[in-house]
Amino acid sequence: MKVIEVNNLKKSYGSKNVLKGINFQAREGEVIGVIGKNGAGKSTFLEILMTIKQYDAGNVVILEEDIQSLSINKLEQVRKHISVVLQPTQFYANLKVEELLKLFKAYYNSPMDVKKIMADFKLEPHRKKYFDKLSGGWKQIVSLAIAFLSEPRLLILDEPTTGLDPHMRDLLWTYITNYNKKTGGTVILTTHNMDEIELYCDKVLLLNNGVNEVFDTTEGILKDGYKSIHEFYISKVSI
Amino acid sequence: MLLTQLRYDLLMFSRELFYLVFTVFVPPITYIFMGQLFGDTMYAGNLSYAQTYTPSFILLITFTVIFFAFGFDQVTHRTTGVEKRIRISPVSKTTLLLSSIIRSVIITSIGFILILVIGIAMYNVEFHIIELITSYGFFIVLNALLLIISSAVYSFFNNMKSALVFSIVILQIVILTGGFAMPINLMPTFIQTIANFNPLYHMNTLFIAVWNGQLTFNNSTVLSFGYISAFALLSLIVLGFMNKRKN
Repeated sequence: MKVIEVNNLKKSYGSKNVLKGINFQAREGEVIGVIGKNGAGKSTFLEILMTIKQYDAGNVVILEEDIQSLSINKLEQVRKHISVVLQPTQFYANLKVEELLKLFKAYYNSPMDVKKIMADFKLEPHRKKYFDKLSGGWKQIVSLAIAFLSEPRLLILDEPTTGLDPHMRDLLWTYITNYNKKTGGTVILTTHNMDEIELYCDKVLLLNNGVNEVFDTTEGILKDGYKSIHEFYISKVSI
Repeated sequence: MLLTQLRYDLLMFSRELFYLVFTVFVPPITYIFMGQLFGDTMYAGNLSYAQTYTPSFILLITFTVIFFAFGFDQVTHRTTGVEKRIRISPVSKTTLLLSSIIRSVIITSIGFILILVIGIAMYNVEFHIIELITSYGFFIVLNALLLIISSAVYSFFNNMKSALVFSIVILQIVILTGGFAMPINLMPTFIQTIANFNPLYHMNTLFIAVWNGQLTFNNSTVLSFGYISAFALLSLIVLGFMNKRKN
């Protein structure tokens, strides 16, 4: 089943055309990496999928709803099925971890038990800590725990592992892949780490000069003769 | 959902020392301190210190709470990315806005009661139920107008540091030209001129009149009402424009 269908998506900021006609599809259970150099439009593309950015032309259908034509109420219904992890991750600085989880549980009207989520994500020792006082890695883990509270059908991650040490990076990916296997949810992420794309993503979308230059399976790209996704990226994208 | 959001909004306010100092501690302490210095002085309209400065300091608390805990808070959330993260969540904008407004009304009402109690205990403020209810109603109207103005003013800021500097500077200007430090007619001419452009000066003058049952409709009060209304209307237009630009 298609979770996302994007056709001829265009977006500009003033005279700068950032997205010049993107075509994209995501199916249930897929993990898709969106790559491209800084300023290629990755974040703009993800923000449109998050339903928080308007676009100029094209069609974006998420969970069978054309988001451009939706009322605010309908949009909130769609958002119940979408969760995100942003970079940098920020929540209310003056709330403790447990309080944040409880607040977002209320936002998503989630039946999940906050204690269980804290146990799953090994957050017990941090539950009384203010979000602002956590290290970057733990902030990302809390953000992911909040994202999973809603049992989302679509998880969007904007550079989730940027700035994390290898242990934290592994831990974060363990949670993401477990979620994907357990729930069949779709994951879309951006990253500059091509090893992560190769290791964890089913498909790759390469944004270059405002268009989707390549949208293929990771396997398919490697079958084309590239030794790695890193080599593929370097050969396709100039500085 | 509204009650949950409100509970957490109040909890966050109580944990922010910066807001507490400037909103709940400094104005009452200044009210007491000034009362010790000028408690016996008589002011315009043959009013005592308590009759003049009790409503003034209630308004000052209202201003600081709304500008710091509502306006500046919006900039903090916008610049740190909290606003974006919340916008992606399925919580309605109306719930967030209502919670913010109710939080401001609750905190400023606590300020209202705090100053009133200090006034009764230390400066023999007289307690007339009808005037008190009228004053509280007018105070709520001022609350609403200040919420609109502060939202519009802070919508221009995309940087926390500049918003903080602005907040501290504007607090000084408002205190000096709003009639909160000493009567405007005792100030230099240029301050008196600036005061005429300060909506807080007009709000203060009207609130003192309402508090003491002296509100009459003459050229001066009509001008004050007109200026405040025009300022609020302009703020609404700015808010509409900024929201459109954001989308």
